[in-house]
Amino acid sequence: MSAALERFWEDVQLGEELKGFSLELTMTRMVLQISGTQDFYPIHHDPAFARAAGHADIFINTAFIRGCLCRLLTDWMGRAGFLKALGFQMRRPNLVGETIAVRGRVAKKQSGGRVELDVWIESARDTAITVPGRATVILPSRG
Amino acid sequence: MPYDVNAVKQRWEGHETPLRWGRYPVEHEPIRRHCHMLDDTNPLFIDDGHCPPVMVDFFASQGPWPPGDFDILGLIGQIPTPGNRLINLNQEFEWFLPVRVGDRLGARHRVAAIHQRGTKLDPLSVWIRTETTIVNEREEVVAVRTNQILVHRTPEEIATGASRA
Repeated sequence: MSAALERFWEDVQLGEELKGFSLELTMTRMVLQISGTQDFYPIHHDPAFARAAGHADIFINTAFIRGCLCRLLTDWMGRAGFLKALGFQMRRPNLVGETIAVRGRVAKKQSGGRVELDVWIESARDTAITVPGRATVILPSRG
Repeated sequence: MPYDVNAVKQRWEGHETPLRWGRYPVEHEPIRRHCHMLDDTNPLFIDDGHCPPVMVDFFASQGPWPPGDFDILGLIGQIPTPGNRLINLNQEFEWFLPVRVGDRLGARHRVAAIHQRGTKLDPLSVWIRTETTIVNEREEVVAVRTNQILVHRTPEEIATGASRA
């Protein structure tokens, strides 16, 4: 992680890729998900419940997904950055057994230290983007 | 009787909950569990007591145990729908202030919109958009969140034509 650094608005390049990361959604990771989010809705931990609802298996919840995107952004923006906005769509469930990759790219620089970024989660199974998103961070200036 | 989405919209759209405070203040341990699940080693969160921005609604809720209204679930459960299975579709946050360990957070929820539109899961799926305002102990707004949730029936309920509303 890189939060010990200071990232300044002037140093950000349009199109710059964020250092992403991957997570394997093992059953242990799914248990960590429940512990970390305290979301006990059974669709995220009970395969029989998930299948009865029409899903292929249990899948990661909203709080885990946004946690991934938040980690990506807060690692990148450094200690003095401020996460201003984050929006994302959950287009397809990320099921237990998958490996997900969390990625981002600088989309726009604006005055006031603002940087807009495309962020997303893709499944290693077929590299499909399962969660597209957009974020805004505010960075300090060297000035 | 067929499901009357217009009656449900009339009754529930615009409905607001009063401000309710989170059961516990912002604490280190839940932040560490959050980081642990993501392999997030950011010292701002695990050592310095900064609250990850996406956890503000967690700390503004009553929590799942002892049983309480966990975020919007209590509100969603009151709105009549043919099914009662839930799946979240999208979410948006805007943040205004940082939050630290020791802060006390509370939330108000508003039902912004209700629509009925069929999906692959259920032809009678109901889409509910909520807006949540999260405040600190001085009642300053720290974040606003919108959430779109889908409420649907099980395949078994669909096969039998069952509807809860």
